[in-house]
Amino acid sequence: MTRKLSYDLLAYAAFAAVIFWLVPTLYAYDGFELNTFARYLSLAIVAMALALSWGTAGLLNLGQAATFGIGSYAMAMHLKLRASDGLPDFMGWNNVDTLPWLWVPFESLTFTLLAGLLLPAAVGGIIAIFMFRARIAGVFVAVITLAFLVAFQLLVIEQQGLTGGQNGLTGLAPLNLFGWSVDTYSVGFYYLVAACLMAALTIGIYVSHSKFGLILRAIREDAERTRFFGYNVSSFETMVFCISAALAGWAGMLYTLVLEFASPTYMSVSFSLAIVIWVAVGGRESVIAAAIGAIIVNALEGRLSDVFVEGWNLMLGVTFVLVVIFMPRGLFGLVTYLAGAGSRLRQSRQDSPKTSAPIGSAPHAQGGR
Amino acid sequence: MAQLQIQNLHVEFGGLRAVDNLDLTVEEGEILCLLGPNGAGKSTTLDLICGKTQPTGGSIRFQGTELSGLLEYERARCGIGRKFQVPSVYKELTVAENLSVAQSRHPGMWRALFTFGRGDTATQRRVLERVGLAEKAGVKAGNLSHGETQWLEIAMLLTQDSQLILMDEPTAGMTIQETEKTADLFRQLRGSHTLIIVEHDMSFVRRVADRIVVMNRGAKLAEGSVEEIENNAAVKTAYLGH
Ligand SMILES: Nc1ncnc2c1ncn2[C@@H]1O[C@H](COP(=O)(O)OP(=O)(O)OP(=O)(O)O)[C@@H](O)[C@H]1O
Ligand SMILES: [Mg+2]
Repeated sequence: MTRKLSYDLLAYAAFAAVIFWLVPTLYAYDGFELNTFARYLSLAIVAMALALSWGTAGLLNLGQAATFGIGSYAMAMHLKLRASDGLPDFMGWNNVDTLPWLWVPFESLTFTLLAGLLLPAAVGGIIAIFMFRARIAGVFVAVITLAFLVAFQLLVIEQQGLTGGQNGLTGLAPLNLFGWSVDTYSVGFYYLVAACLMAALTIGIYVSHSKFGLILRAIREDAERTRFFGYNVSSFETMVFCISAALAGWAGMLYTLVLEFASPTYMSVSFSLAIVIWVAVGGRESVIAAAIGAIIVNALEGRLSDVFVEGWNLMLGVTFVLVVIFMPRGLFGLVTYLAGAGSRLRQSRQDSPKTSAPIGSAPHAQGGR
Repeated sequence: MAQLQIQNLHVEFGGLRAVDNLDLTVEEGEILCLLGPNGAGKSTTLDLICGKTQPTGGSIRFQGTELSGLLEYERARCGIGRKFQVPSVYKELTVAENLSVAQSRHPGMWRALFTFGRGDTATQRRVLERVGLAEKAGVKAGNLSHGETQWLEIAMLLTQDSQLILMDEPTAGMTIQETEKTADLFRQLRGSHTLIIVEHDMSFVRRVADRIVVMNRGAKLAEGSVEEIENNAAVKTAYLGH
């Protein structure tokens, strides 16, 4: 086992202990408090999804909110149908008198759960195929995905009869998960979201330690070189976009459950940029770090945005700029740097007696760096 | 039939004919050295073979397959490997990881997705021992010296194990001992692999070349054994610039 994998597994275990045991204990198993934390955890999933494409492959997807939104609307459509007797109320207000064909299959929970994963993956995949076949890379990926997000949100708002327009989908029924009626303010629901996050992180860690993940890192550094080893770079890039989009859709489904409504603001540019900030703060090279970044920033927002109602967005922006300038690898980079410095220091302590150099001479100076 | 057949190949960069009506055949298992003054079009010829540059005309056939129209990764899968003039390794990856990337007998995306870990580490270790980088397996490639970086890229090509290997100035920046070691290594590849080597160092060329092709201004100037080329009047003029 490589050293890096064992570190990742250690971090994974510690993180699991924190969200399964420490957090519920700190909140005294209070369902209301844990509901707030479940919201952070679902956002952590969309952050780790972005870390996969951005951190591993270097593809900055600014349209992540679109695939997140598709997942959240998929879940909301199902719950809206459960809550309505026949036609959902907003359709009547918009002179829609029969259930649109797009809505019909969402009667089924199994279909909904699959659609919440596969529709985002398909949308992400189609955009990716067009971009990466044409060898679009770097900042152009960000521009194109951002343009897609803007167009997509407009479309969703415009199609009022289908999507509820600006209001989104509200008045949802609670989820009935194969016989378990999910109470969003219960400890059980918190554990459901936490388990989903751990599953998503498992996928993320698997992907980054597979040969696939290694090739993605090679592509991030030099896509051109990688082609000369026989790798079809665009198919790798497309696949990581699909995986990332599916995870974002998954996060979106959970988010609808937590907040009990779906809104077009989930597909806004500012939300998409916020995801980028969380990942940058945590560290884009590690899926766990990205998840932690999302939790930290959102928890801070929960505390501080009450105090500084207007100033919060400004503070978030400033934090982002500071992180990019002073901590380009995020908290993850800081931790690995400190760990590295620690082991270098230990190394130099061990080395110095052997080299029997006078105290304060070269080996110390070198190790102290 | 020759393994590689190049006919009438030419490419223009904004009016400049970098490769001009080039004909070249390479037999399986031989070592061909490509010589020529700066700007003769040697690197461009290798670029055309591996697909980095598209020709404006002519044909390249490798083992009977026409290569023009194939993408870089498809040509690599046909069995063509390339070492670049400016050593190009993955600086952010460790030496061992660089070799894992190079180990691309099964380059498919799905296969990679269901392969966990580093791949065939025994082969990787053998290659690293061969080039003297065994101690550095865990080091980031960005921290290697220039000579070691050259070795790493050579090791990557050994790991990739292509039938046709294109080497662009593999000994640039190496010490005399390292150059000799490279020559020995390449001679061991003779027979099992075909090599096209661009090189300026004549003592190295004398040690490894089965045959030499000299290029000048994009065209083939001369072709023959080491002695024939060393005594060729046209080659002397081209190098002295008369
Ligand atoms: N992409 C390009 N665009 C424009 N001109 C190019 C390009 N690539 C090469 N050239 C030009 O084509 C000519 C041949 O270049 P090439 O790199 O093949 O020479 P070379 O024989 O490898 O020389 P050297 O020994 O210096 O490496 C040069 O004049 C070079 O400037
Ligand atoms: Mg050259």
